Amino acid sequence: MSKLLVVDDEIDIREFAKNFFKKRGIDVFTASGGEEAFEIATNEAPDLILMDVRMEDITGVDVLKKLRDNGSDVKVIMVTGVEDDSTIREAESLGILGYVHKPLVLDELQKIVLKELENLS
Amino acid sequence: MNYFTISSLLIFITSVVIGLVIFIKGKNRSLSRVWLLFCLAVAIWGIGGYNISICSSKVKAIHWWRISTCGIILIPVFYYHFVNILIESKNKNFLRFVYILTSLFIGICFLKEDFIGELRFVFDQFYWPYWWGRKSVLFLFFFLFYYGFLLLFTFYKLTYLYFSSSGFKRNQFKYFIIGSLVGWIGGESNFLPTFGLNFYPVFNIFIAIYTGIFAYAIVKYRLMDITVAITRTSIFIAVYSLVLGIPFFLAFGWQESLQRVIGDKWWLAPLITSTVLATAGPFIYLYIQRRAENALFQEQKRYQSTLRQASIGMGRIKDLNRLVNLIVHIVTRTVRLEHSIIYLYDKNSGDFSYAASRSRQVRFHPQQVINGKSFLVKYLSQWHNPILYDEIKQRTQDYGDRTLAHLEQELHDLEASLVIPSFIEDKLQSLIVLGEKVSRKPFTNDDLDVFTILANQSALAIENALFYDDMKQTHEQLFKAEKMATIGTMADGLSHQINNRLHALGFIAGDVLDTISLKRDLPMSEELREVFVDVEHALTRIQDNVTKGGEIVRGLLKYTRKGEEGFTAVELDKLIDAAIEMTQFKIKAGAMTVIREYGNEIPKIKGNFTQLQEVFFNLIDNAFDAMAQRRAELQEEGFKSIIKVNAKYEGGKFIDITVTDNGIGIKDDDKNKLFTPFFTTKVSSKKGTGLGLYVIRKLIEENHGGKVYYVSKYGEGTVAHIKLEAIT
Repeated sequence: MSKLLVVDDEIDIREFAKNFFKKRGIDVFTASGGEEAFEIATNEAPDLILMDVRMEDITGVDVLKKLRDNGSDVKVIMVTGVEDDSTIREAESLGILGYVHKPLVLDELQKIVLKELENLS
Repeated sequence: MNYFTISSLLIFITSVVIGLVIFIKGKNRSLSRVWLLFCLAVAIWGIGGYNISICSSKVKAIHWWRISTCGIILIPVFYYHFVNILIESKNKNFLRFVYILTSLFIGICFLKEDFIGELRFVFDQFYWPYWWGRKSVLFLFFFLFYYGFLLLFTFYKLTYLYFSSSGFKRNQFKYFIIGSLVGWIGGESNFLPTFGLNFYPVFNIFIAIYTGIFAYAIVKYRLMDITVAITRTSIFIAVYSLVLGIPFFLAFGWQESLQRVIGDKWWLAPLITSTVLATAGPFIYLYIQRRAENALFQEQKRYQSTLRQASIGMGRIKDLNRLVNLIVHIVTRTVRLEHSIIYLYDKNSGDFSYAASRSRQVRFHPQQVINGKSFLVKYLSQWHNPILYDEIKQRTQDYGDRTLAHLEQELHDLEASLVIPSFIEDKLQSLIVLGEKVSRKPFTNDDLDVFTILANQSALAIENALFYDDMKQTHEQLFKAEKMATIGTMADGLSHQINNRLHALGFIAGDVLDTISLKRDLPMSEELREVFVDVEHALTRIQDNVTKGGEIVRGLLKYTRKGEEGFTAVELDKLIDAAIEMTQFKIKAGAMTVIREYGNEIPKIKGNFTQLQEVFFNLIDNAFDAMAQRRAELQEEGFKSIIKVNAKYEGGKFIDITVTDNGIGIKDDDKNKLFTPFFTTKVSSKKGTGLGLYVIRKLIEENHGGKVYYVSKYGEGTVAHIKLEAIT
């Protein structure tokens, strides 16, 4: 079973994202912040991470950086809101699959995520 | 030596001097040539009269009378010719006839002894012809034709022209008419002894005055109002005959009585009186003159004082528009003018643009712009003086100068009788163009003085108002900038928050929708299914709104952030490529044609590529929507959506880029709302956010220091004009 980690400080996002992907037989983990995300990423080794860029106490780019610093090559899709170009470029330089804009259309997200996870199996 | 000697000598001297001076000044060739001939004819009479008055023998007198008669014959002829040129008469036949007749008479004068008639010794001073001696019919005919018919005929022409003229010309004709009257009193009265009336030729001196008046009217452009001239002269003569006359009478008339009263030192009385009177004279003269002129020019003085007061009050008005309207209003009303217009210097174009006008006519369409390089502006900048149209016209005629002719044409086009410049530190700031006075009277020197004061005061007031406007604008800009800075920082956090809410909302709706679609096939009652359909619809609407909300948030953010990339050299062609690429998601290939009309010579643009790409994407996107709307609304057969992109660079700072479409166009009512945020006219299916143009303007004008505006006609299409800085 593919593993997906959703990193977002919004409880609603975590709940409904989990709901949504579970229906497609995906093992969904959620993390509300940087520490938690790092922990799950290390322990559970997810196949794909959906990472919010701007969170309450930390940015997604920083989490990504920490992961990469620890040698993780996990696949990451960034979820960006209204961030400026430089943040996105920094994330890109750290190696990401791509990014999706908030607010997103679930259909599209589903396509992207499923495609990535299918590629794995 | 007698009075006649002196007056004749004076005639000779003045006519020779005046004739030559005007001939040498030579403004109007043909006029001054005839004028010289006229003066020489008068001079012949002058020198003849002088010799007649001093010669003792009858033989010599006959000789001089013959010479003088030549002058007498020629004077009315040249006078007629002179007036003929003055009134620009085209009829030369009568003139030719008169000249032929004149040469006949001159011949007769020398050949036929009895033409002049017998001479008799009159007034115990000199010999004078006596017509009754020979009763020469020829002489009578000569007198009646020349000094009767020809003079009246010429005089009639002058007066006729006087009434049909206006302004400066009218005043000039007035001088010629009064001059003529003076001269002919002098001339005709000299004939009285000839026909047996023993009236001493005391008015002979008038002939000298007559040439003087004519000369003044020819030479001077700004003629004193003739009423003033006459009043001043009369007062001068009256005052000085008293000043000089009283001591004179004291000295000669009352010498004996004075001697009786004062004794040996009687002469002290006239001396002291003359000293006192000579000192007081100028003051008395000025006092009487002022009183007389006050009475004469009540009306003029009244409006002059009104204007002076108005010009002082103007400084208090800070609203430019009100101020210029007030100026034209005051001028037109108080002076009673046909119209007045005020033009203000425009820093951006260097021209003078229309600011306000007043006219007695309902349909009055003043010229909108006076070119900064026009002859008028050049002339005023050089001379700093008001310009009178009549004066320029006269000088153009007199000198045939090309520049003056252009200037005249410009004034004519402006319908200007008078143009008053006003300056701020030697820089021409505004022009007040005045039409004719309703009374058709000329502008006097006093008028010009008052207008100049008014213009300078108004210049200060205008400067003041401009400064005030400027300050207000700066203030507003500062305020806006401050507000924007606050909003900018706030917007960032705020939009993040809103976006996250929208995101969550979208997620929730999306997930529920997903669940519904997965469970659609489960068995359920019809009622329940209907509920599911309703819920599904509602959730779809929520999703749509979430998407739109997200777009708005992103649109708003675009202008609160300045581009971080900095400016580079942007190639227009690549920019258009990139913008078209962005539209590919929405616009199917072949749905519209983009034609690039600019050439390779267009320099690169100084700007931020991403931002400019956004701008041109929006422009093309808008154009496409407008064209789609036209297609839908007008249903024209064979309509093709065409966008033309053109660019022009003619030196200077900016490249002018135009994006032209043949879409539906912009309604007049919507034109001033174009750049208002959240304003959209796009039809509901493709509803815009209403931020496109707002963002474009922010990006172009605030981030790039450029300019963007639209020219559009509803039902025909729209042209977007964009000015962007060139890299040269």
